[in-house]
Amino acid sequence: MKPLAGLRIADFTVHAAGPFCTHMLSQLGAECIKIESSLRPDIFRKPHPVYGRMGPASFDQVASNKLSVRINLKDPRGVDLAKRLVSISEMAAESFRPGVMARLGLGYDVLSQVKPSLVMLSVSSSGQTGPDSHFAGYAPLFGAWGALGFLTGYADGPPVEMRHVMDHSVGMNAAVAALAAFYRMRATGRGCHVDVSAREVASSLAGEALLLAAAGGAPARMGNRDLQMAPHGVYATSQADRWLTIAVREDAEWTALLGVMGRRELGDDPRFRDAASRLKHAADLDVEVESWTGTQIAEPAVARLQAAGVPASVSATTADLTRDVHLRDRGAVVDVEDTDGKTRAALSVPIRFSQSEAGLERGTPRLGEDENYVFGELLGLSRAKRAELAEAQVIH
Amino acid sequence: MNGCVEGPLNGLTIVELSSGAGAAYAGRLLSTLGALTVLMEPPEGSALRRRPPFLPRPAGEGEDVSALFAYLSAGKSSVVCDPQSPAGRASFHRLLETADAFICDVPLSQRAAMGVDEASVRARNPALTYVSVLPFGASGPNAGWRGEEITLIHASGEGFLLPNGLSAEMFPDRPPIKIHGHFAEMQGGVVAALGALAALLSRSAAQGEAVDVSIQDAALAVGAFAIQRLGDGSLEHRVTRSFKYGGVLECADGYVQLLTLEERQWTGLVELMGRPDWATAPDLQDPLERGRRGAEINARIRAWSKGETTADVVARAQKLGVPMAKYSSPADVLAGAHEQARGLFQRVDIPGATPAPVLVAPFHLDGASLRLRGGPPALGEHQAILHITNRRETAGLAVGAR
Repeated sequence: MKPLAGLRIADFTVHAAGPFCTHMLSQLGAECIKIESSLRPDIFRKPHPVYGRMGPASFDQVASNKLSVRINLKDPRGVDLAKRLVSISEMAAESFRPGVMARLGLGYDVLSQVKPSLVMLSVSSSGQTGPDSHFAGYAPLFGAWGALGFLTGYADGPPVEMRHVMDHSVGMNAAVAALAAFYRMRATGRGCHVDVSAREVASSLAGEALLLAAAGGAPARMGNRDLQMAPHGVYATSQADRWLTIAVREDAEWTALLGVMGRRELGDDPRFRDAASRLKHAADLDVEVESWTGTQIAEPAVARLQAAGVPASVSATTADLTRDVHLRDRGAVVDVEDTDGKTRAALSVPIRFSQSEAGLERGTPRLGEDENYVFGELLGLSRAKRAELAEAQVIH
Repeated sequence: MNGCVEGPLNGLTIVELSSGAGAAYAGRLLSTLGALTVLMEPPEGSALRRRPPFLPRPAGEGEDVSALFAYLSAGKSSVVCDPQSPAGRASFHRLLETADAFICDVPLSQRAAMGVDEASVRARNPALTYVSVLPFGASGPNAGWRGEEITLIHASGEGFLLPNGLSAEMFPDRPPIKIHGHFAEMQGGVVAALGALAALLSRSAAQGEAVDVSIQDAALAVGAFAIQRLGDGSLEHRVTRSFKYGGVLECADGYVQLLTLEERQWTGLVELMGRPDWATAPDLQDPLERGRRGAEINARIRAWSKGETTADVVARAQKLGVPMAKYSSPADVLAGAHEQARGLFQRVDIPGATPAPVLVAPFHLDGASLRLRGGPPALGEHQAILHITNRRETAGLAVGAR
């Protein structure tokens, strides 16, 4: 049994941030019905030359585990059909630019009449209100607006683009806010419109820097440096483009690091005698650490450092992650069957429960794959009625 | 006690024992959404109180006040409770009797000795939701591994892919970097809040859930696209995952981000640049050709952007439907008209420092921003909570129970 079994979501979200949210909720047990049309299929069903994908994706992580139906929302009968679907759902989710759902006749004011207890989730770049609410944006723009991009980068370099992790962070926050609203709905019957602003999610991930700036401080880009820890960085190994990351907070970790490095004498060096001195001489210390890491193979070095109690990791490539024994053991990385019959690595929901189940049960649905169940069983539309709606390009 | 707020989780009580940003952010999110989050601190205070950055203060006056603790703890209540002392243990159990969930980031090896392991807690509070937040989770071969933000963002894969774009072009031989602050740990916090809510929605009076969150798993989850790309046959790398053109652009007074994925956005960009001859040339009307000649196009765009100012060019771009944003500094965000209009910040009292605006939450509910109960608590400010002894009834909130 999954914890959210019994929760149904009418999912109008597209692209990455919104679909990631409902993808998470679906893995937690929600029945998520993805609404598209052949006139407006989601981005993964189309070629994406920017990423070198010249056809539709065979597997799309954020669309997987969902049911798929076609509804043409440009047709008033399609809008009526969407409302019927919302009326049998506890939650509706969308990620169009603010105002689009209202123009379609599916705004919160309308849907909350259809279903007063509805939790409606809207995910957008800048939120549903405010002077910039109409702004167009993608993940790197969220990071730029929200100050997280400004704060990330080498101290002597430019700001850095946030990529897909930014989209998906937005989706994860949206899942929390939507579930909180759903929790209240369960207790009180009260519906809710949840308005998630992607740029504000970027800002929330730099909340301490924003507070510092508000109090007169000047947070800035600082590469891999830390304000308290040294050594603290990403260090070269004996392998090309293979990096080892180490962070030392406590004296015991420092002593353990020197033991693994075989450089106990550095503990007597006045430049490194305590944490404050080590921080002051961080650049000198990095040279000493790298003179050791530069002779090491990354993985065994990490194993020895962790065995000695030193926080360390390989700077993992994506290929490393898909074969990682720990991630496989936890079920964080799983194999799924692609539409071509081959297996490929995918990610499960990053939560393990002691009693409930969670995770992927099916791959990416074909467009309209679940219409027999959704339109037939759930909405009770006869075959004849569905054929008529298909003929009229309402189910299309 | 703190004042009341109208959040959807009003009525829930969360007890938090944290020393890292992940568990603390989980408690903070739930608190901002209306739960009463009680922070259990050792007599010397949470380790997060001693974590930088520290708020500016006159030299020699008072103690350091952590901006990180202030942000992560705003709206929480603080009790001093050391579960290793006999009196502290009794208080701890009383506290849990009033709680719906317990969030804990104590390393596995120390939990039993402190009496905060799941079995000990469960023995007295069978229905409690136990939320564990650890660098590598509570199970699996690396469960005992130590982690700090920088090691975790690299253990989850995103670190290796940073920086990309302009920065990677400028410094191709430098080591990869981390995202500012506590990005990976906070993903762990968001996921822990999600796991806690899912568990609370399905709880029964008989047996509470244990929720096991790994910061590595959480940060990896938001990096899902790289795994998907690998399955499609492409191994991402920070140097090659740059956009063909656009990206970070230097202007006369700062930087902007430009990303044109759709044809109409490219057309808008050409308009924005004043329809220069090179951009209106017939061969560049083909998006595939533009992709092939990305470096050449980007050199032109970068030369153009240097003569622009950020506020002006972004305003014009957005009017033309061109996705462009300024790389806002923290001061820009604090002063932003949009952020002000949405009530993103709330001025709160900060013990040991002057009152300051703190970011509330990145979402609105019911058409308005949420409200923090207050600023960060003084150590032990809400000690009276320990004398409340009413055992809570577990509500029948299971999702399927209609």
